[in-house]
Amino acid sequence: MDGNDLTEPLPLQLLRDLQAAVGTDWIFSDPDRMVVYETDAQTAHSQAPHAVVLPATTEEASEVVHALHGHGILMIPRGAGTGLSGGAVALRGGVVVGTSRMTGILEVDHENRRALVQCGVLNNDLNAAVAPYGLHYAPDPSSQSACTIGGNVAENSGGPHCLKYGVTSRYVTALRVVLPDGRVTWLGGQGREQGAFDLAGLFVGSEGCFGLATEVEVALLPLPEAARTLLVIFETIEDAGRAVTAIISRGLLPAALEIVDRNTIRAVEASIFAAGYPTDAGAALVVEFDGVEAGLERHAEEAARCCLDAGAREVRHAESDQERMALWKGRKKAFGAMGRLAPDLLVQDATVPRSRLPGVLARISEIARRYDLQVANVFHAGDGNLHPNLVYDRRDPEEGRRVEQASAEIMKVCVEAGGTITGEHGVGVDKRKYMHLVFSPAELEILRGVKQVFDPMGLCNPGKVLPDGQEAP
Amino acid sequence: MTHLIRELQKREEKLFHCVHCGFCLPACPTYTRLGDEADSPRGRLHFMRAIVEGRLEPDSPAVTRHLDRCLGCRACESVCPSGVEYGQLLEGAREVVARAGGASFLTRLLPAVMGRPVLLRPAMLLARIVRGTGILDRAVRRLSGEGWSGQVRLGLGMMAATSPPRLLSRSMSPNELLGPEEKMDAEMPGETMGHGTRAAVFKGCVQEGLLGRVNHATARVLNANGFKVVDVPGQGCCGAVHAHTGGLKGARELARRNIRAFERAGAGVVAVNAAGCGATMKEYPHLLGDDPEYGTRARDLAARVRDISEILGTADVRVGGRLPMRVTYDAPCHLLHAQRISAQPLAMLESVPGLELVPLRGHEECCGGAGVYGITHPELGGRIGKDKVRAIVSTGAQAVATGNPGCMMQIGAGLRMAGVAVDVVHPVELLDESYRRGGLYR
Ligand SMILES: Cc1cc2nc3c(=O)[nH]c(=O)nc-3n(C[C@H](O)[C@H](O)[C@H](O)COP(=O)(O)OP(=O)(O)OC[C@H]3O[C@@H](n4cnc5c(N)ncnc54)[C@H](O)[C@@H]3O)c2cc1C
Ligand code: SF4
Ligand code: SF4
Repeated sequence: MDGNDLTEPLPLQLLRDLQAAVGTDWIFSDPDRMVVYETDAQTAHSQAPHAVVLPATTEEASEVVHALHGHGILMIPRGAGTGLSGGAVALRGGVVVGTSRMTGILEVDHENRRALVQCGVLNNDLNAAVAPYGLHYAPDPSSQSACTIGGNVAENSGGPHCLKYGVTSRYVTALRVVLPDGRVTWLGGQGREQGAFDLAGLFVGSEGCFGLATEVEVALLPLPEAARTLLVIFETIEDAGRAVTAIISRGLLPAALEIVDRNTIRAVEASIFAAGYPTDAGAALVVEFDGVEAGLERHAEEAARCCLDAGAREVRHAESDQERMALWKGRKKAFGAMGRLAPDLLVQDATVPRSRLPGVLARISEIARRYDLQVANVFHAGDGNLHPNLVYDRRDPEEGRRVEQASAEIMKVCVEAGGTITGEHGVGVDKRKYMHLVFSPAELEILRGVKQVFDPMGLCNPGKVLPDGQEAP
Repeated sequence: MTHLIRELQKREEKLFHCVHCGFCLPACPTYTRLGDEADSPRGRLHFMRAIVEGRLEPDSPAVTRHLDRCLGCRACESVCPSGVEYGQLLEGAREVVARAGGASFLTRLLPAVMGRPVLLRPAMLLARIVRGTGILDRAVRRLSGEGWSGQVRLGLGMMAATSPPRLLSRSMSPNELLGPEEKMDAEMPGETMGHGTRAAVFKGCVQEGLLGRVNHATARVLNANGFKVVDVPGQGCCGAVHAHTGGLKGARELARRNIRAFERAGAGVVAVNAAGCGATMKEYPHLLGDDPEYGTRARDLAARVRDISEILGTADVRVGGRLPMRVTYDAPCHLLHAQRISAQPLAMLESVPGLELVPLRGHEECCGGAGVYGITHPELGGRIGKDKVRAIVSTGAQAVATGNPGCMMQIGAGLRMAGVAVDVVHPVELLDESYRRGGLYR
């Protein structure tokens, strides 16, 4: 099936069923209003849905999905819409099931360091709720002030500190899920981590294609006792890349290693989150160590030496918690600040083996130069996760085409260097065309099979992740 | 209509700063309560963009409804990494909506009264007389909160909320900014922050009409700190309500009038104690940017405008007598988000000996006042207002301080309707009271 006819309105009976499930206030289908749901944070892909439904509980969500399934209407889960691969876009019409009302923190079991939350809880809000117990939820996407735990689960999100702590999949212990036909089930759960197939693990990273996760149980960690944060200034981004390689190969384990390049520094420094990065630098590297106080200082010193050996111009130490926060704020808001460089932004997300960083970075600069484009690099350098962002103006179609081509070349370079096409933003609509670069035909077959098990009718977030011959070349 | 869309198009560059990151969603009081992207800052900007791109009609009910539902609190600006100037974009869009006939009767009536002294003065006089009879409080207690009666009740409650606080002494000079009995202490401390600088007090329309006592307190406190307070005849409404409801033309007219009045007075500092007015006056250069005659003059006035807390929230402010009170502070949106002033009002309150300042949860969130939002959007405004009242009550404070007449009225009405006896005051009133108790006035 090719999706729901975009010119056909939804069946009246379905609208009545949906209203019965959530109440008249929480379903919208006025076409003008749908315009605001046509994209997520990646504006290149856009299509308004037929309707939006906002259930408040698992039970309501189940009724909604059941009704949609009965009428053969597509279901597209949506969290906060901060996704960067078009995942929450109703590419082929259908009904967006939003989680913005499912914001309950159901349980904080601080003794066992677990929390159970509804899927619409924001990452930051979960952290605020558990901080009084001296705990935190480790995965910290830069969008954590706005993105939902459900979205994090669907994208298996990472963040600056995932270098040391690992990504979402490591912290999700159980999921309550509404399957694409409306049935509700738990996946994983207390005491069931061992043995059998890891179904919760399978669901994490499914990008909304296997159903709607409505409740999420997560493991929490004690807040680190102390931290040391360095800001290191480099003349060139390649030097910064070399410093990262040196720090890791020395056996140091920083909690975070983040690089921002010159263009990014300029954008951030012009924003309200200015963190005092020098605007004439080629790149800045943020290095953070955390954990028990003992040994932190020595690790920080060793990392500083690696940087100086790699040609660093200056090493600054955050002297206070305030300085540390400001420094991080600048990094975490970097993407948003890029609106200052140009109206549109193509956010890339690829990983390469760390040792190949300097070479890949040089190639990216070269590609941008050749296509006469501005590239702004922000990335989780410690795990080789690159975000080369191409800034452009979509009102200039010719520039848009150059961006497309440059972006495809960059992808190729990353894959050739032994990397993959997404680090943390997911495949979504965006990267489907690159899937064959990294997955063998056999793997793609298995992926399709898994999707088939969860969603035999193909009603759940179609047109995402799996190439089906309809993706743009 | 098309020339209005062109007006929006002129702002297109600003619209394109939005990278759609969604960071503003959790800051928006309407989004966090309704969960609908159409009621989020990003959604509203998307509507504007769709209009500019010609994909949506400006009089589409969806656009009208959701832009109208925006509080204009500008909390979204404070968190936007891309620096989107939402407030200015909203003003342009509101004008489009208003012309398309989308504005309600009340939103059209208010600016009509506020901008015209001949209408405003009798209206305010009448309001003061009614307030004096005590009938308002009785009505607030009796009326039901449902439907129309609820809206009337809120309106009356807002008027009642301008009554003088019970915890402070009442000494007023009715007509002049500085009555003879309230001249400052003859004994001036060696160094004062004012150094005799000529300071004008911007009186505002509602502030002067219903909360004149705040203007008097402002003048006294400035005087006590070594400023020479000068009277500025001919000043009037700042034009905020006009600008926010889509009446940019009317707003410009009022701005020009104020510019002329303050130029004549020749004051070095224009002290504003109403955050909404201060924000508007600081934005006069933007409002009159294309005006060949007034452009520079607007910049000149804006450069002299200071919120009263910017002047007094420093280490040099004179210390008065003890005022043992438990007080909490709610940040007016137009101070915190529009003017980005956060620390100074707190510093001002902390300078009062004996005053215990307790933090207010959600102090950075709109109280739901936003002009007459509670009356035009009773349900949503009511929810936002109730959340604020609940937070205030949980602090156990005797008084809540906030530096904007709209917020004082909205919060005061909310407290009255909830039957809670917490005073609503302007921070400068607390400083004033402490000066009085400390014998700084004679
Ligand atoms: C400025 C910025 C910085 C970012 N930084 C990072 C970063 O450091 N690391 C990182 O990993 N990502 C980052 N992202 C990407 C994005 O924030 C994450 O992918 C996030 O997890 C998306 O969450 P969301 O709630 O916004 O989900 P949405 O964007 O609404 O949805 C994302 C996908 O999840 C699906 N989905 C949403 N909720 C559910 C649910 N309850 N059940 C099933 N499927 C669901 C949707 O269908 C969609 O496919 C960033 C984005 C921005 C704008
Ligand atoms: S935070 Fe700013 S850039 Fe991001 S969506 Fe909101 S207005 Fe747009
Ligand atoms: S001004 Fe306030 S209500 Fe309006 S969009 Fe911004 S945050 Fe929301």
